[in-house]
Amino acid sequence: MENQKTNTQMTTVLLVDDHPMVQDGLTACLSYYNDIKIIGSTQDGKSALTQANILKPDVILMDISMPDMNGIDATEIITEQLASTKILIFSMHDSLEFVNSAMQAGASGYILKDTGSAEVYLAIKAVASGKTHFSPSIASALLENPLKDGKEKLTTREQVVLAYIAQGLSSKVVAKKLDISFRTVEAHRRNIKAKLQIENLAELIRYAVNHGLIDS
Amino acid sequence: MILPIRLFYIAVIQVILTSIVIYFFVSSEYLTLSQHNLKTLETFLINQKKQELKNYTSLASAAIKHLHPEAEPNAKSKQLAIRNLINELLYNGDDGYFFVYDDKGVNIAHPKEPQRVGESWWELESDRGNKIIQRLVNNAKSGGDYLHYQWSKPSNKKVSNKMSYSIYLKDWQWMLGTGIYLDDVNQQLASIQEKIDQHINNTKEIILIISLSSIFIIFLFGWIINLSHKKKADKKINELGQKIINLQEDQHRHISRELHDGIVQILVSIQYSIEATAIYLTQSKQEKPKPLIEADKNLRIAIQEVRRISHNLHPRVLDELGLSAAIAGLAKDFSNQTKINISLTKPKLSKLLPDDINISLYRVVQESLINIEKHAQATHVTIDLSVENKWLTLTITDNGIGFNDNNKNRAGAPIESFGIGLRNLKERIEYHCGQLKICTSSKGTSISAIIPSHVFAYYFKNNAQ
Repeated sequence: MENQKTNTQMTTVLLVDDHPMVQDGLTACLSYYNDIKIIGSTQDGKSALTQANILKPDVILMDISMPDMNGIDATEIITEQLASTKILIFSMHDSLEFVNSAMQAGASGYILKDTGSAEVYLAIKAVASGKTHFSPSIASALLENPLKDGKEKLTTREQVVLAYIAQGLSSKVVAKKLDISFRTVEAHRRNIKAKLQIENLAELIRYAVNHGLIDS
Repeated sequence: MILPIRLFYIAVIQVILTSIVIYFFVSSEYLTLSQHNLKTLETFLINQKKQELKNYTSLASAAIKHLHPEAEPNAKSKQLAIRNLINELLYNGDDGYFFVYDDKGVNIAHPKEPQRVGESWWELESDRGNKIIQRLVNNAKSGGDYLHYQWSKPSNKKVSNKMSYSIYLKDWQWMLGTGIYLDDVNQQLASIQEKIDQHINNTKEIILIISLSSIFIIFLFGWIINLSHKKKADKKINELGQKIINLQEDQHRHISRELHDGIVQILVSIQYSIEATAIYLTQSKQEKPKPLIEADKNLRIAIQEVRRISHNLHPRVLDELGLSAAIAGLAKDFSNQTKINISLTKPKLSKLLPDDINISLYRVVQESLINIEKHAQATHVTIDLSVENKWLTLTITDNGIGFNDNNKNRAGAPIESFGIGLRNLKERIEYHCGQLKICTSSKGTSISAIIPSHVFAYYFKNNAQ
């Protein structure tokens, strides 16, 4: 680990973390690796969206707890918009609920902040090449409690789309409102129906009203 | 508007005083007025009667003059004729008649007391010593006048007050008079007086009723205002209690975040610095000094401790991922600690609830699990969170021994008897327009909190990206 890896492909990284000290510390550590380049850093979810679209990094190192928009919601939106960018969650939170939500949102990996920089390097490289990567402790926790929420719970994005649909907006309008493609909205629609096991619009609306998602 | 109780006492005293003053004032005014009226009426009546008597006597005198133009006072036949005439001149039932006496007091005619005819009544005296007939004759001689005296009333043979008018028939040298019995007048006046008295009494009664009603209404008013104040005060106390709780939770959340987002991050960055130092040393082929290794180890412990404290103050997952994720965390920790199996059902939607409802429901689960761990001796726990028919329901069920109390069956007992933790939670849930209920028996316990959806209906929509 003290030697550089022979993987010479440069991986560009965007750092998203609301704590500048952590960013500085991480940057310092990662500077020892030649095949990782930190091309930007930002401190909240909303600006992460804009920076990601501008810089188009290979990997985004995403914190979860941030003001304005948390990392998991940002992950969901970025994976909608940028197919080639991989997101590696980098957080102090070690409970599986966070891991579940992050993976559901489309993250490719989850590492804890108190792991060493070598671990971070490995994770970035793994995720950049399309693999999933977890911190060891998380990996063993996942073995005991495998991810299952993906089939049952709606993601934040899906819930937002459901709210719009239940209000009567068409997919086209929703796409415009959320600044995503029509196809993406339709995909969300399918997923929503599958997860809730509801086929028609009337039942969807009733479901939404019953749960206080919209008013009647 | 705060009305002190003293104001009501003042109002009541004022009503009483006013009533008393009005009472006496009205009574005395009424009395004065009625007496005055009575007097006037009496005078009027008397004057009327006087005029009547005068008229009657002049009529009678005219009749006598007409029938017997030549005066022959001593002629017995004339006396008889005139007596007969007088006997016919009756009016007013039994009590109206004329009498004739000569100027020596000898009665010439008396329709009601014929025994007086021919006798002299000159010395006839009243109880007070008035010579009645003399006075009558003198009145007549002086041109006609009135006399008040006592005389027997024909209709009831009782002696009563009489007022008579007498004139002098000069040709005959006779006194001709007639009178009325005043008790009739007095009776009339008395009945009027009675009516007046009744009026005064009615007025007094009305004043009494009005003042009592006023006092009653004042008290009723005061009582109602008091009640509404009490209700407002109770509501305010309740709100204050909730404010304090909310403040406390906010404080905990704030400190939790400061620890997690502030201190822990700094510690982590120190960790990175230490790691960077280690890499530097390694790259310059130096050994990592012991203090550095120690520092790294201790730093990890410090980070762990601070995170533990932070989590105990306020669970971050509640704010970031919502209630069901937070409950899942609680369930996992509980299972790991007590080895009791927990099954959890969650709704498919999340982040529907605002922060204060979130934390209240989280505390319900926390408290229930603590109780189960301490007392229930359960082997299985079910936590169910769902939204149905516009109600959110959170139920924690265990198969333990129930809230065991040898003295009473807890199944229907109010929450207050289950301990202060649950009691406080009940108030918190009620503050969100919801309810907290407990069903317990020796087969197990079920704690459920329900919240109506109108309380959180807009939250997700208003807070989504």
